[in-house]
Amino acid sequence: MTSKILLTCLFFLCLAGMGRAADHLLYFEAQGIAGYSSQLAKPIYYSQNPDAEMQKPSLGFDYLQRFSGETGDWASFALQGRLALTVDGTEGSNEVKVEPQIYNAYMKFKTPEPYVWVGHNRPAFGLSSYLDSHSHVLRTLAIQGFGYDRDWGVGLYKDFSWGDIAATATTGSGMPVYFKGNYMTAARASYGVLSQDNFNMGFSLGYGETLETMGYKLINSEPRLMKLAGLDLAFLHNYFEHRFEALAGRWFGEETYAFLYRFGVNLSREGRLKIEAQPTYWKTSGTENYQLSFCISALATSDLTVRLAYTYDHNTYDNQVVLQLYYYRKM
Amino acid sequence: MASPVKAVIVALFLVLGGSPAAWGAVGCDLNDPDRDVARLFPGSSGYKTTYVSIDRKGGEALLAKVETKLGDKFHGLYETIDVPYTIYEILGNKKKVGYIHGVNQKGQFGGIQVFLALDLEGTIKAFYIQKMTSQHAGKLRDAKFGRQFIGLNLKDFESYDVVSGKASGKVEGINNPAPEAESDFRAALRATKKNLVLMDEFVYLPQAASSPGGSQKQ
Repeated sequence: MTSKILLTCLFFLCLAGMGRAADHLLYFEAQGIAGYSSQLAKPIYYSQNPDAEMQKPSLGFDYLQRFSGETGDWASFALQGRLALTVDGTEGSNEVKVEPQIYNAYMKFKTPEPYVWVGHNRPAFGLSSYLDSHSHVLRTLAIQGFGYDRDWGVGLYKDFSWGDIAATATTGSGMPVYFKGNYMTAARASYGVLSQDNFNMGFSLGYGETLETMGYKLINSEPRLMKLAGLDLAFLHNYFEHRFEALAGRWFGEETYAFLYRFGVNLSREGRLKIEAQPTYWKTSGTENYQLSFCISALATSDLTVRLAYTYDHNTYDNQVVLQLYYYRKM
Repeated sequence: MASPVKAVIVALFLVLGGSPAAWGAVGCDLNDPDRDVARLFPGSSGYKTTYVSIDRKGGEALLAKVETKLGDKFHGLYETIDVPYTIYEILGNKKKVGYIHGVNQKGQFGGIQVFLALDLEGTIKAFYIQKMTSQHAGKLRDAKFGRQFIGLNLKDFESYDVVSGKASGKVEGINNPAPEAESDFRAALRATKKNLVLMDEFVYLPQAASSPGGSQKQ
């Protein structure tokens, strides 16, 4: 049923894209991903976990519509969806299913002061609050499972010359919507405008009772305490990119610490070739783990990105290599 | 391999193989339009965002025209025919008072983004480099550098050779505040000329042609 709705949306958006009206953008997205896991000793068709939403072979779209009147722009609407293929071989033979996924799905309103959004968007916590990772293979802490890359609810943000502030109140369920007494509130204040100052440093606070989900799968139906503080930093200098993220507090009621550092080098003047390395460490429920990841990204054309990534997981001794072809084209 | 896997791979192959050139689009938006519009256009009351691309506006013929006026071929990721250019139509008390438009340009350390605030005749009111990761970015982003562009228009940039970097007239008078970042300086000038050429084709020439008794400027 959800697949039909997604396909119907895509059909009508395609029709909209055929017009000459210039108040919207529509992109087609497709990706293929395949790799190998030493732990499973077999090929895999995902970058993280078969239940997680990122990344899987998929077909999708990305749509942005602006609304304006006599006095100018007053709102925008974003809708981004995929039909993803899940190939789960973790229990032996491969189980295959097609899953519709919704990422951005929000209306954003311009007010005299902050922007206000309603729908499925980014919670105001950490790197994921502004770094769009929906096509990336490397994971932020939210994608790693310490938060939600997208969540359902409302939010507001305001930019200043010195940085920005944002706050969100969401369901604390991530990709699916559940009402089981779960909720999540978050706020982030940052200093520096990345696109102008080449650095941004943010401080986040989050509190709520959140649900443990992985992708659309509900892992535990009982909401549990979230009480986190986070610090994130992004710094760009010539060819180099540094991103750092740390959080500490309680996640799903357990004492939790997590750190991430991502170092990137742009090897061409157009950013066609990029190498990234990322160590990630976390301790939760008294258990420690770390991962080491490397990723080479190459823009074969302006529409097609090829990524080759390696991840070592300390606790499972898993060596995972994945190749991703990511295609994103304006329609 | 399971059939759904094959289906997605086949679909992906068809999509990739079916696209004639597989060249796409990198847009250029203001980081925070509310703040930036108020700063670049003091006294404005609002803005309206629209998207224009060469492929929709005139296709290959328009691309050839733009390249001729620029004096160079469009090439690379930032200059494909389907790049969606974001044009901010600036309003003052519900009346159009100007435009803000930005372009991506290949710089020394990756892409740079050059925005121009233009009045209704196409004269530069403000020059603004948004993205630039070079260690010399501060000097090229300095207001003192940007002020050298105020009052210039496409006519002034027509004699600027974007390939050799040779300039004459008013453009020759633009000083590079960071001689060690010569390639970024030239990239900024090329981006400015490209920006003016695109705005001429997207906005000013069509407006002149459609106004009563109007004719094209050139």
